[in-house]
Amino acid sequence: MTDSNGGRAGAASAAPATITVDDLSHWFVSEQSGQTVHALDQVDLAIQPGEFVTVVGPSGCGKSTLLNILAGFIKPSYGTALVNGRPITKPGPDRGVVFQELAILPWRTVYRNISHGLEIQKVPKTERDERVAGLTQLVGLEGFENHYPHQLSGGMKQRVAVARTWASDPDIILMDEPFAAVDAMTRLTLQEELNRLTLATKKTVFFITHSVEEAVFLGDRVVAMSARPGRIKAEVPVPGDRRDRTWEVMSNNQDLQGCVEEVLGLVRDEAGEQEIAH
Amino acid sequence: MSASETAGSLAERPTGPPKEVTTWKTRIRWIYKLKGLTPFVAALLIWWLTWEIWQPHERILVSPAEVWSALVALVREGILSAYIEQSLKRLAFGVMVGVGVGVPLGWLIGLNRSLADASEPVLRFFNSVSGIAWLPLLILWFGFTERTITAIIVYTMLFPVLFNAMIGVRTVPDRLSQATRTLGAGRLRVVRDVYMPGSFPSVMTGVRLGIGFGWRALIAGEFVVGGGGLGFLIFNARTQGLISEIIGGMLVLGLLWLALDRLILQPIEQYTTVRWGLVRL
Repeated sequence: MTDSNGGRAGAASAAPATITVDDLSHWFVSEQSGQTVHALDQVDLAIQPGEFVTVVGPSGCGKSTLLNILAGFIKPSYGTALVNGRPITKPGPDRGVVFQELAILPWRTVYRNISHGLEIQKVPKTERDERVAGLTQLVGLEGFENHYPHQLSGGMKQRVAVARTWASDPDIILMDEPFAAVDAMTRLTLQEELNRLTLATKKTVFFITHSVEEAVFLGDRVVAMSARPGRIKAEVPVPGDRRDRTWEVMSNNQDLQGCVEEVLGLVRDEAGEQEIAH
Repeated sequence: MSASETAGSLAERPTGPPKEVTTWKTRIRWIYKLKGLTPFVAALLIWWLTWEIWQPHERILVSPAEVWSALVALVREGILSAYIEQSLKRLAFGVMVGVGVGVPLGWLIGLNRSLADASEPVLRFFNSVSGIAWLPLLILWFGFTERTITAIIVYTMLFPVLFNAMIGVRTVPDRLSQATRTLGAGRLRVVRDVYMPGSFPSVMTGVRLGIGFGWRALIAGEFVVGGGGLGFLIFNARTQGLISEIIGGMLVLGLLWLALDRLILQPIEQYTTVRWGLVRL
């Protein structure tokens, strides 16, 4: 194992976590103000294989910075971030990312967007066709293979983004408010589908959201972050098995509603403190 | 707004969109499609009236009819088609070189911040020195040759093409390249799959502008260098005081450009940027 970050030895002890974040701090210079921003402060986090971890926190709490570090877009100022015991140096197909904004390519058809990662990894054409066909069916995009993104609705575009990420079959999926720009009805459907999809394909997921309800509905565990500099304020395990979760179950289950209240309380405190600080 | 003949009978639900009723308005609708012609007709009318009322000397202005007959004569003699061919060939060669050099250079500068910082001042400097200002030097270097004409077209096109390719690369959203990198794409792959197609609308704007500028530079080049071509036709007619040929040549210049834009440039955009939903026509 090579440790190019030159820091601590990898935390690949007894049961290796899929994602290990250890004493991570990050500062960056804001492009607008030119001031140094302390985005993350001493963050520790371990995500187990197959676990779905959701992250909530006030705007500017550094949750997107954390995702950018895990994705390999930026290098942390201090501390380590490991994937399967190896330091993260750059983006790679082992960590799929689904963004909030539209990040599929407008000049590629649905088919060519989904198969893009497979093309890059030089998967043979016949196998590519097979996998894309399976995925278009899985996310409900059959018949739209030859459409261009601008011909699709917002929800369908995000389905393309999800299918594209799943096509490379990464173990880890990083999602940054993927359903924030989708209308409310579609969002409910997409959330239920994502729950099923991640369970069926045994993905390890790091999911950022603004919605506490969404965080509880999707997560095995909710991580609440504090306002800048971002720290992990609390980790709340979500009661029950997420295999059984649908929105109907969610609205009738006292334990789950209690969990929503608990996380809301944590986030509300933060929002209050942030107001005072300003 | 129409089709209310059988109102009242609820049983008869319409099975399709309401049928259009032919009225005098729908009958003359095809005229609207030709509304782009109206200003031309108006200009022609003003020209003809001016000539009719003013009755100028034939070395100052001639009537539209005289220009028409001059053009017909040029076509009959086969001169016009030969000159058009020559001008278009020169333009095509210049455009090939100009786009071939300008677009890759623009991409390179757009992708590399320090290269951009190093080259922008000098590019802006030369951009302001018009191609025509280079003609004296070009003639001293290359003489009255095709090379001089190619050089002035390429030089004139280069800047709009280059700057727009550069801007095109810079305006591709970061998210697109980031997303593609997470699929395992390396730097070159991101350039090929994201920056090149993403910059295409801007590149097309640059190429269109560039060809337009190159077209004008070509005419200036032909004025001085001669040896055939539409520019030569117009400039040469002056020495014989043939106003009809000068105006006729100018008309051909404009019409040829319209045809070029409609038949070549617009279809390219239709097939790419419009299909991708990046530009709305």
